[in-house]
Amino acid sequence: MAFVRVQRDGVPVTQAKDVALDPSLGKKFTLKTDVVVVGSGAAGSMVAYEMAKAGRDVLVLEAGRYHPSARFSEHLGDTMTKIYQDQVGQVNTTADIIFIQGACVGGSTVVGACVMEEPGDKVLDGWAEKYGLDGLSAENFRPYLDKVADELQIHTNEAHEINACAHKVIQGCEKMKFSWKPAQRNVKQCALTGHCLAGCPSDRKMSSLVTHLPWAAAYGARIFSDTEVIRVKTRDGRARGLEARVVDPDSGAHVADMQVDADMVVMAAGAIHTPLILQRSQVPDRSGQLGRNLAIQPFTQVLGKFKEPLYGFRGALVGVQVDEFIHSNGYTIYSGLAEPESLLAQGDMKAGKAHIDFMKDYKYYAGVNAFSKDLGNGYVQWEGDPWTGDKTIHFNPSREEFENMKASAALAARIFFSGGAEKVYLPTFQSLEANSVFELDEKMDKVDYGIKGLYTFRSNSFSPHGTCRMGADPYQSVVAPNGELHDTPGLFVADSSLIPESISAPIQWTVHALAKYVSDQINENASNYFIS
Amino acid sequence: MNSQLQATQISKIWQRGMARRQFLKWGLGGVAAVTAVAAGSFALLRRSPRDEIAPPDWATGLSASEYHLFEHARAVLLPVEGTNLIDSSTVPVVQNVQQILDYLDAPTRKELGAGLSLFDNVVVFSHGCRFVDLEPGKARELFDRWGEGSVLQRTLTTVIKQLVYSGYWQEPATWPPTEFDGPVSEKWGLAYLGNAPLPQQPSLESGQEQA
Repeated sequence: MAFVRVQRDGVPVTQAKDVALDPSLGKKFTLKTDVVVVGSGAAGSMVAYEMAKAGRDVLVLEAGRYHPSARFSEHLGDTMTKIYQDQVGQVNTTADIIFIQGACVGGSTVVGACVMEEPGDKVLDGWAEKYGLDGLSAENFRPYLDKVADELQIHTNEAHEINACAHKVIQGCEKMKFSWKPAQRNVKQCALTGHCLAGCPSDRKMSSLVTHLPWAAAYGARIFSDTEVIRVKTRDGRARGLEARVVDPDSGAHVADMQVDADMVVMAAGAIHTPLILQRSQVPDRSGQLGRNLAIQPFTQVLGKFKEPLYGFRGALVGVQVDEFIHSNGYTIYSGLAEPESLLAQGDMKAGKAHIDFMKDYKYYAGVNAFSKDLGNGYVQWEGDPWTGDKTIHFNPSREEFENMKASAALAARIFFSGGAEKVYLPTFQSLEANSVFELDEKMDKVDYGIKGLYTFRSNSFSPHGTCRMGADPYQSVVAPNGELHDTPGLFVADSSLIPESISAPIQWTVHALAKYVSDQINENASNYFIS
Repeated sequence: MNSQLQATQISKIWQRGMARRQFLKWGLGGVAAVTAVAAGSFALLRRSPRDEIAPPDWATGLSASEYHLFEHARAVLLPVEGTNLIDSSTVPVVQNVQQILDYLDAPTRKELGAGLSLFDNVVVFSHGCRFVDLEPGKARELFDRWGEGSVLQRTLTTVIKQLVYSGYWQEPATWPPTEFDGPVSEKWGLAYLGNAPLPQQPSLESGQEQA
């Protein structure tokens, strides 16, 4: 009988500074393991936990730094510099859409707003039918979602977790007869600080940093941070490990080259970086879909100004969701207002008094994030050689997607006006505000699609997915229904890249469950994969 | 907000505003034109009493004219009189701007320097003096007009505004008047919960190591 100990806090992580100080490793070293997992976020941490629990020797490689909870400062700007991908500078090729992603041990689970939403039975059954993914039908996939809910303590917000900002959304919805519901979040004993995006210093957010990673470590998984995977190594067509480099996160200095020999490689670096690594590795791709079908779930931030002070920045960051349109039009709206500096990015940038008036009214604002569904027509491409090249993210809204973004932002504005807002700031590159609902259409009409929708709405993406589509047909998908690449045995994908088509719901819950499902697929067929 | 992040955002605005080559062509070309004119009969007009004032010792990352430009922009863009907001002269706004600029890569910094010079000098043609000598009302009008102007004008004014506003709002001292609480966990004495317990496994006896 095994006795498994989870350490009280923190995660045992080998960092670049540890590698630099270890003379036994030197500038080039090789590690051997059963399973090497690339990425430590929602998917990587889950796979590491499930595989280590099954008795496998597991090595997790994370490109970002290790930032223990004790160091979270609740200062969003500082946090963004340290643990957000490219310091929140990860953008599409035309630099008008920001892809917000965690770049640290625990990945985006550390910096997310804790919003958890299932894809819905209809979506799951649609995947099963359209892509031959019987394992993902609602009936078969439900147990995975339920298990994740237990492990991450997902719950529906209670009354005290719905702040004044969210109440304005509720009032607006009630007047418009729109369906709304309290958001579901993975938090235990939420302290209502409102600083979710800067990490949770008291470890109430059930991120991978306090759940699957320390659990995986308790079962013996080794975790390296500051380690960028360059490419997957193959021999006789089968994945045999990978090449990586260890880089000091502060100086950018190249500390060491790492080789990993493994029976299996599991990619869990997210929908942007997983396909890029596979492209660098030049893995066979019969379907031609590797890196394609990028869906981004674009969202814009709409601000409403109310007569009375709301202090909308206090309390749980996300309180309620407007779910009236999620299954019909693909729009979904979440309440939430970030800190003052964030208003610079989403709000008025006029000169002088207009700016001062805007900022001094901070406590009167309520904010929402208005999501819309896209068609999944973007793609990511690695340009150049594996060591010195660069990623490119190609996504510009089609006219249909642009109209969707416009419609979701307009809905958010109407909800605010119905909730009593006296002014709404629109999420556009040009400074636009409506002083009443009667002005709204006229103001919205000023936002013209123009050329490829460039510089129209200030859009962000927190949920890219679909770039290594899962499916039974090797000519239409990259990954087989068991998570293994169609054309490369021993190479698995477990992250949001797998999601076969654009979905409306936030993806974190789905990703955890997909990774658990892929882990089960591997463990159930272990004798086919592992020599030991 | 951290200076490194702001520098990233400034670079991003720069990318958004224009292709670099385009800017070099328009921006540096414009500066060259202004400089050429300034060397002639307009040289007197572009002289400013501020040129006689030496920047403070800390301003090693800014040219003298950049220092004066940002100092004037601070006063123009952050008129807090009549509000309870913190007077921008009591906050190290220009020091923070300098720190942000220090993080820019060399080519972007050079281009931005050319752009700032253009912004300061080109006003001579329309107002008979440089930006640093424009009275606040006219300076604000200039920001608003350029904010609706050409790509070059929009980008320059956006960058200057972003730098000055970020330099101000990144200071926690500016938050209390907005009633934003800033960091609270320590202030509230929140208990640290640590790692979550391992899910119970039927076949394993699991436990939590105590600190």
